[in-house]
Amino acid sequence: MKNKTAHKKPAVNKIYYIYVGILAVLFFVFHTIPFLRGVLYSFTDWKGYGNWNFVGLRNYLHMFSDADTGNAYLFTFKFAIIATILVNVISLVLACALNAKIKFKNTIKAFYFLPYMLGSLIVGFIFNYIFANLIPDLGKSLGISVLSSNILGTNHAIWGIIAVAVWTGCAFNTLIYISGLQSIDTDVYEAAALDGATGIRRFTKITFPLLAPSFTINMVLSAKGYLMVYDQIMAMTEGGPGTSTTSIAVLIYKKGFGGGQFAYQSANAVTLFIVVVLISIFQLRILEKREEKLG
Amino acid sequence: MRRQIVKAKEHYNWPVTILLIVGIVLVILLPLYMALMIAIKDPSDMNNILALPTKLRLQNFVDAWKMTNFPRKFFNTAFITVVNLVFTLITNSFAAYAITRNRKKSKFFSIMYYYFISAMFIPFQVIMLPLVVQANTFHLDNIYGITFLYIIFGLPMNTFLYTGAIKAIPEALDEAAMIDGANPIQIFTKVIFPILKPTTATVAILSFMWTWNDFTMPLVLLSDESQQTLQLAQYVFKKQFSVDYNLAFASYLLVLIPVLVVYLFCQKWIMNGVVAGAVK
Amino acid sequence: MKKRKFVSLLLVGTLVAGMATVTGCGSSDGKSSSKNGKTELELFSTKAENKEVVQQLVDKFNESHEDVTIKITAPADAGTVLKTRMAKNDMPDIVMMGGDNNYTEVESAGMLVDLSDQDYVSDIQDSYMQMVYDVNKDKEEKAYGIPYATNASGVIYNVDKFEELGLEVPKTWDEFIAVLDKIKAAGEQPLLMTYKDAWTSLCPWNSIAPDLQPDNFTDDRKAGKTTFAKTHEEIAEKYLTLLDYAQDDFMGLTYDDGNKKFANGEAVMIINGNWAINQYKNSNPDVNVNMFALPASDDESKNYVTSGVDVLLGVCEGSENEEMAKEFVSFMMEPENAQTYIDDQFAFSAIKGVEQNNETVAGVKEDIANGKVANFPDHYYPSGFDLSALTSELCLNYSNGMDNQKNITQFLKQCDEKYDIANVD
Repeated sequence: MKNKTAHKKPAVNKIYYIYVGILAVLFFVFHTIPFLRGVLYSFTDWKGYGNWNFVGLRNYLHMFSDADTGNAYLFTFKFAIIATILVNVISLVLACALNAKIKFKNTIKAFYFLPYMLGSLIVGFIFNYIFANLIPDLGKSLGISVLSSNILGTNHAIWGIIAVAVWTGCAFNTLIYISGLQSIDTDVYEAAALDGATGIRRFTKITFPLLAPSFTINMVLSAKGYLMVYDQIMAMTEGGPGTSTTSIAVLIYKKGFGGGQFAYQSANAVTLFIVVVLISIFQLRILEKREEKLG
Repeated sequence: MRRQIVKAKEHYNWPVTILLIVGIVLVILLPLYMALMIAIKDPSDMNNILALPTKLRLQNFVDAWKMTNFPRKFFNTAFITVVNLVFTLITNSFAAYAITRNRKKSKFFSIMYYYFISAMFIPFQVIMLPLVVQANTFHLDNIYGITFLYIIFGLPMNTFLYTGAIKAIPEALDEAAMIDGANPIQIFTKVIFPILKPTTATVAILSFMWTWNDFTMPLVLLSDESQQTLQLAQYVFKKQFSVDYNLAFASYLLVLIPVLVVYLFCQKWIMNGVVAGAVK
Repeated sequence: MKKRKFVSLLLVGTLVAGMATVTGCGSSDGKSSSKNGKTELELFSTKAENKEVVQQLVDKFNESHEDVTIKITAPADAGTVLKTRMAKNDMPDIVMMGGDNNYTEVESAGMLVDLSDQDYVSDIQDSYMQMVYDVNKDKEEKAYGIPYATNASGVIYNVDKFEELGLEVPKTWDEFIAVLDKIKAAGEQPLLMTYKDAWTSLCPWNSIAPDLQPDNFTDDRKAGKTTFAKTHEEIAEKYLTLLDYAQDDFMGLTYDDGNKKFANGEAVMIINGNWAINQYKNSNPDVNVNMFALPASDDESKNYVTSGVDVLLGVCEGSENEEMAKEFVSFMMEPENAQTYIDDQFAFSAIKGVEQNNETVAGVKEDIANGKVANFPDHYYPSGFDLSALTSELCLNYSNGMDNQKNITQFLKQCDEKYDIANVD
């Protein structure tokens, strides 16, 4: 019944076409063409320089028989899942705490957001030192053997990297949750209180569903970011010990450039790209659907 | 008077407040405090890492400043960051506006929308080497070129952020302005852009953080030492002088300090900006 | 929802179609780089540790050549940067790099000028010249890279501690183990390992393997005639035996921290190379160290010093200042300058008659002078074969208490698999 008929499609001003067109061309030249060349190289044996030949799907088939690639995918998924869940749980708890009636609210909030500002390279360097020196020293002086060795040199190195990811990642997620919490009308709580919903019940039945949009944003952005994890690992373990913390991005970088496997790692990168797209679409659809139902 | 204070006291949730403060001290501040302590100590004074220095040593900062050629690197980084910021805000916001408002009217913009958004999923590693080859052809392997690339590469994310915000602005506003005889650019600058302030803040912060903290792109593009950015310089510095932690940490702090200063003064604005943009 | 799906499909479609059109852009862009300064030459060094002394020498060269300036580029991750510059066809004029598989890549891409006709080639020790030939493509006997400084890898020991404990430098594996046991019994830390930095886990390997591997292993392995599993079991066993004498948390200690600890006497020995000595001296100027070749065999004659070409000089193909670049290389080869370099770096010179007289490396000096050296085995592995990741995993399994036999079998099997994957070309 809206005035659709009266609202004839107006002609689009030319300036929009020209403007967006120019940007699109620039973007195509400097981003899409390199991307397409990367895709192209994934079908070749190019080493990053010199001559090359087409080798068809050899690189892609190779991936299935290469344990390094398999391990990198396993590690990356494990890391992304654990980090996404941990960051979101901690952020949610933090957000609820920060949303409570607390003293010095703004100052406290500002401190919790601080890690977001610091570059992950330097944060990685700092934590590298903590794991290598501070914690072992503490462990030794307290006589706790678990703490007295550098976690980054054990099977549990992944947790060291997760710790840094959580340290830097919670800031943003918490902030998003806080804003979600603040947008919830207090009337809703009052009504809920009348219905006898308090505490945990109030959270699961009312607060959390209303946080759905924030939850969606956080899940999608965190998962995507953690699937590409790179900086923290390069600053802390460079993929070791062994290959136990080699993420896909690290593998691509190390082997693609250092190891003369540029073409093969391009195939790996294209695969990563497809995986990231599929996961993001999947996630968005599930979460959007749920949001619709709840909202 | 007295009653009021008592009442206010009862109102605050002190256990949560205290827990949060403890969290700040142990989790957020401790690593930074440690970094500071290491940076102001002499190498011989490192037996107890967290203790205050027996003798304050600021020479570390002086040495790090000289050894990394801090002023030059700072200028490079600041140049990239500021120029990128200005151009990103001007160009990307209008692009998002053009796309959002015309998506329903023309397939072209709809395709452009998906074109830019889908590019968000392309890992940088895929395009890195071909990009380097290409950057050389266009002579982009300097701070000017890299700034240009940042502006272009920011498009997907910023389009995504801005479209969300622009969608929420009723089109009636544009129409009213159009009836008053404003052209698209005027509509955008006079009517829409001011409303987008929160998103602009977000985009500004994200761009700032990205360019200030990035090191992979400078690493592969900027081979000339005089063109290096601060992050890249840290990376180089760490490899060369990592045995001297005191010097290395002083150098890290030199890079963190500008960010901390910006944060100190714009903290509220930054936080509001990040939220306002992302939740749209 | 449906519409969105359609559009994304469409988009994927255009991307795929677009690919066909850019296929043409794939080929290289031809020469585009030209340094426009009058005579500014760029020296690309992959070794950050020697930047200062190289700068010193460059300054000296610049002084005597008023029309020339040489600029040093020594970036982090130099290998990566050099490869990206190869892709850009933006090569420097002179390269200074290790005689390893990075060099092989540059050389086999035809990026370097043949310097065989230069006078100084005859001054180079044959064994080191041969090492460079060996890593050339198809082992071509042409001097695309001139060996300049060489290194020595082996056991570095604290001389004072050795005297204190009344120990002698071991000549055989059994003696070495006996020394290790004595140190342990005396309550000192025999070996310090810094495997948080995976490359250091290669050092013992590089010292043990040349003594024990079959003669033509590298060639045979490349041709697929032999395997690690068949030939390297003893090497892996001895490698693991050394871990029994390492400190706790040997996987968590970094190279830099370890060097400091060693310099401060927290361990008696460390397995690394001459390049680390600078760091010990920086941490503790009074530290008194010396080196010996890791005696992996009980046959004394087989216990080589692991020594490779640490730095070689090359002139890049297509440099506009090729003559000047050659002159610079020739300048660097002058005995006086070579001496300056090795004195600063505790390194050895590839040039006949230029000797390293510092006591910190006296223990390996004689063997090096006599050519009782073996190159780093990993210089011959294909560059995609990252053995340090495998040795580091071997050690990790060890520290997790895995059965040694199982660990070794698994490790050698992986070596062969990964080698084959990397050995594609």
